[in-house]
Amino acid sequence: MLNYALLVHGAPYSHQAALSALRFADTVVTSGHRLVSVFFYHDGVHNASALMSPPQDEVHLAEGWQRLHQDYGTQLLVCIAAGLRRGLLSADEANRHGLASHNVEAPFELTGIGQLVDAMLNNDRLITFAP
Amino acid sequence: MLLHLLNRSPQSTAVYRDLGEAFGVNDQLLLIEDACYAALPAASGVLAAFGGRISVLEEDLVSRGLAGRVSPAITVVDMKGFLALTETHERCVSWF
Repeated sequence: MLNYALLVHGAPYSHQAALSALRFADTVVTSGHRLVSVFFYHDGVHNASALMSPPQDEVHLAEGWQRLHQDYGTQLLVCIAAGLRRGLLSADEANRHGLASHNVEAPFELTGIGQLVDAMLNNDRLITFAP
Repeated sequence: MLLHLLNRSPQSTAVYRDLGEAFGVNDQLLLIEDACYAALPAASGVLAAFGGRISVLEEDLVSRGLAGRVSPAITVVDMKGFLALTETHERCVSWF
C-alpha cells in the first residue's frame, strides 16, 4: 500500500484536469492505496466552491471530492492565497475581510503552501493534474 | 526512473521538445487527455525521442473517438494501468 497525494491546478469544467484527477483518485482508493490529501492550487481552487451546481446528469466534481473525504478520510486542502484572489473564502476569511458571504465549507480547508510541501515530503507519490 | 505525464496535443511542439530533452533512458511516458492525439500513427514524429517507452490512457482515447487507431508501438492502459505505472515509478512529472 502506498500513500498518495494529488495536486490539482485545473478549474472544474474548464479543462479536463479536475475530472482526470478525480478519476485517478477513485482508482487509488479502490485499489488498496491510501489517498492522503488533494491540494487545490491556482484555478484548481474553484473545485472547492460550495455553490457549484452542475446539471444533475453531469459529474458533480465538488461532491466527488467530498465523497473521498467522507469514505476514505482524504484531506481536501485549498491554497488560501489562490482562493482569496479568486473569491473562494471560508466563513472565517469572509469575516476577516468584511465580506458578506462565503463559499468554502468543510471538508475543504483553506491552508498554506506549507501543506503542499508537507504532502510532497510525507507521501510516497505526488501526482499533478494541470490544465 | 521517472514517469512523465503529458496532456498536451502534438500541436504543442515546444512541450514535446522540452520533454524529449529531459527524458531519461529508463523513463516512461504516459499520454493523457489531448496528448492522446500523439498516439495516432500520423503523429509518430513527435514521439521519436521516447524510444518506444510510451503508453496512452484508454479512457481518454475512447472519449475522443480514437480507440483502435493507436500506433502499434504504443501500449494502451486503463486507469488501473495508469495507477500501476505510478506504483512502479517513484517519481512522476507532469508536463503541461
